[in-house]
Amino acid sequence: MLGTHEDLINYEYDGAVDTATPDAVVLPTDTADVAKLARFCHEHGVPIVPRGAGTGLSGGAIPVEGGVVVSFARMARILEIDVANRRAVVQPGLINLHLSTAAAPHGLYFVPDPSSQKACTLGGNVAENSGGPHTLAYGVTTNHVTGLEIVLSDGTIVRLGGKAEDVEGYDLIGTFVGSEGTLGLVTEITVKLTPLPEDKRTILAAFPTMDQASTTVSEIIANGIVPAAIELMDNLATQAVEAAVGAGYPLDAGGILLLEVDGLRDGLDEAAERIERICREQGATTLRRARTALERDKLWAGRKGAFAAMGRLAPAYYVQDGVIPRTRLPDVLRTVEAVSKRHGVRIANVFHAGDGNLHPLVLFSDLSELPRVHEAGLEILTACVEAGGSLTGEHGVGMEKNCYMPLQFGADDLAAMRRVKHAFDPQGLANPGKIFPTPGRCREFQLHATR
Amino acid sequence: MTVAADVLRPNNAGDAAEMLRASSESRRRVRVRGAGTKDYLGDLLPTDAVIETTAMRGIVAHVPADLTITVAAGTPFAEMRDALARAGQFVPLDPPHGDRATIGGIVAANSTGFWRARYGGVRDLLIGTTTALTDGTVAHAGGRVVKNVSGYDLDKLLVGSLGTLGVITECTFKVLPLPSATEGFEATFGRGQDAFAAADTIARTPARPAALVVDSGGRGSWRLLVLARGDPAAVRRTIAIAGEAAHANGGSRAKDTDVDSALAPLRELPATANGVLVRASLPIAAQSAFADIAARLAGFRHLVADAASAIVRVEIDSDEESDIAAADELLAGARVCGGSARVERRPPELRERVAAWGDGDEPGLFLMRRIKDEFDPNGILEPGRGIVR
Repeated sequence: MLGTHEDLINYEYDGAVDTATPDAVVLPTDTADVAKLARFCHEHGVPIVPRGAGTGLSGGAIPVEGGVVVSFARMARILEIDVANRRAVVQPGLINLHLSTAAAPHGLYFVPDPSSQKACTLGGNVAENSGGPHTLAYGVTTNHVTGLEIVLSDGTIVRLGGKAEDVEGYDLIGTFVGSEGTLGLVTEITVKLTPLPEDKRTILAAFPTMDQASTTVSEIIANGIVPAAIELMDNLATQAVEAAVGAGYPLDAGGILLLEVDGLRDGLDEAAERIERICREQGATTLRRARTALERDKLWAGRKGAFAAMGRLAPAYYVQDGVIPRTRLPDVLRTVEAVSKRHGVRIANVFHAGDGNLHPLVLFSDLSELPRVHEAGLEILTACVEAGGSLTGEHGVGMEKNCYMPLQFGADDLAAMRRVKHAFDPQGLANPGKIFPTPGRCREFQLHATR
Repeated sequence: MTVAADVLRPNNAGDAAEMLRASSESRRRVRVRGAGTKDYLGDLLPTDAVIETTAMRGIVAHVPADLTITVAAGTPFAEMRDALARAGQFVPLDPPHGDRATIGGIVAANSTGFWRARYGGVRDLLIGTTTALTDGTVAHAGGRVVKNVSGYDLDKLLVGSLGTLGVITECTFKVLPLPSATEGFEATFGRGQDAFAAADTIARTPARPAALVVDSGGRGSWRLLVLARGDPAAVRRTIAIAGEAAHANGGSRAKDTDVDSALAPLRELPATANGVLVRASLPIAAQSAFADIAARLAGFRHLVADAASAIVRVEIDSDEESDIAAADELLAGARVCGGSARVERRPPELRERVAAWGDGDEPGLFLMRRIKDEFDPNGILEPGRGIVR
């Protein structure tokens, strides 16, 4: 347990921009520890906030209402790789990439691959229902979890599911995944392992404009092709990535698509050729297909290192995560550009275009700019919701967007969600102040919205 | 059941919510029904009213390039399937009762077929719902985008909830382009373990067949049925992989079989079984041993396994006493293997004696009960239908 000021300030932030200092930080080593701690917190009415690697992008691990932060850094083991059942049983503090690395000798991997996969944990992936570039074809975390052990905020240990696909009764696992620590703490996870694709074809396509690049996404899908990944990057993001990673992306492109098809080797070349033909028809100026695994890794290194590369452009960024129907990409991207001009903020775009999942990165230099940055982010999210989309595709609501929830959901919708919260956590001690609008912090936003 | 229940047919979610509110206030019990194809699920206790969703019908939104479709819950699945086919697309579900069942019923019953092997089940394809609740409100969850973590995933809670939490009035699904090629493979085996070993060999490759089914009608004869869908080259290769796997495990390839047609009656087993039908969800590697036990039971009629998802159905049909004993053995066997099972269907005369949910002490049941109480505090919805009673 950590309690000194010097220790606690290390836990007051995560990958987003909000901060709050915990009253204490506890590092349990097993489920019994977690249950004991939860019982203690329950008896004393203290909030309990789980934390993985702190890479979250919505303030999910920030103890906004104080209380105890539970770091899972010491519960980071792979308990079992069960090849015969194509499952792995892991502790929540395990790093995402370590699981796929351990499964690779068996020809298997864990599908969700968030860009932070070298650091983020499985527990965090479960809490946020994390995605990644390759979830277009293979689904997000919730599609790959079959078992959970959870500790409720009153200390009750519950085991749900296991290695089988279905359980009888309500799908509590599906309800829990993506609940951002607000329904309880995860102490053990059983996930599906998937056979590694036999081969892949990775294509870089550069276009003069973002419009052309984003129209191409819909064209590919309209032609009956669903690639494993379709990523899009604008010129500003490309400049940063090239400076930081040197992935070989053309610096003069307005928009760059990174596309991948995978699976059995048979038919991959034909699929790649069809994609390249569509790209050409849409005005691609550069088309490059990775010829070796090394070349492919280099192309992906640019994409996966993109957020970190933003440091080349500005000391800080605020990333949004709105989702829109794919066909609305061109016009919502134009809105993003207009927002950037109107507020005088630079916005880089690097995102999962195939899913319609935007990641506008609003760049800034010091905290005095935050109000303007938040304002720009809110306008983009409003445009996403108005286009029939969602506030967040994979980063979560957390404390960053909980005040914005009424943009997407009516009072009755939120009331239905609160019923679930109440069933799992009647006292409201599990990660309070997240997902649902809170009267204190959200008053300002409500005033603003009604103005 | 002496008095016929009132049948109510709401025209929209608001109507349905108002009917539920009125029923809840007057403590009138309500059954929720689409086309009524799956009355065999759970226990069907008498209710004062039936809310039938069939007046809420039609496609609400479909933008082909978005690869999503929104439909009213009372829409027949076949109507959605045909409309999508005209656009060269499909929702990759192949539920039983596919010609009559409604979308809402398929979601509420978590009704999946064999294509789950490649495309996932209802829970993986459903991305948005609108639901009428007993307090008279209408709740939206998810949305019309394929990736969405905004708020709790109430869609998942509704899948398989059997009408016990509310009346689903609208659903949005992920859609895929129709595959350009389809091909089947069939082989026969003398032992179940060999058929399952062949299936597992295929499942361990990146081939991702659309269906991977093992079945047996007894007498030591086991069949492996593989359906490949996708690009022609990948489909050909998948069939080749299936051939090698069957050969390596002692199977003999059947000639000129129409696998799609062979799968159809197996898919409809929940609709057609005469005896007791147990549905088990198992760890993949436990299927072979479970099947072995099943095939030795007195009155064993048929076993059908989605071998990729390890969903195994067993039909038993002998005298009442041995059917009851066999069902108990299968339910217990599934649990011992690390899975779970339920009695999906049994003849009317056995309904009193064979519980749908076994002993019903599923882990997390207390949480399910709390959820049920939150959504239906007066307990009016589908009494006896679900695991929470």
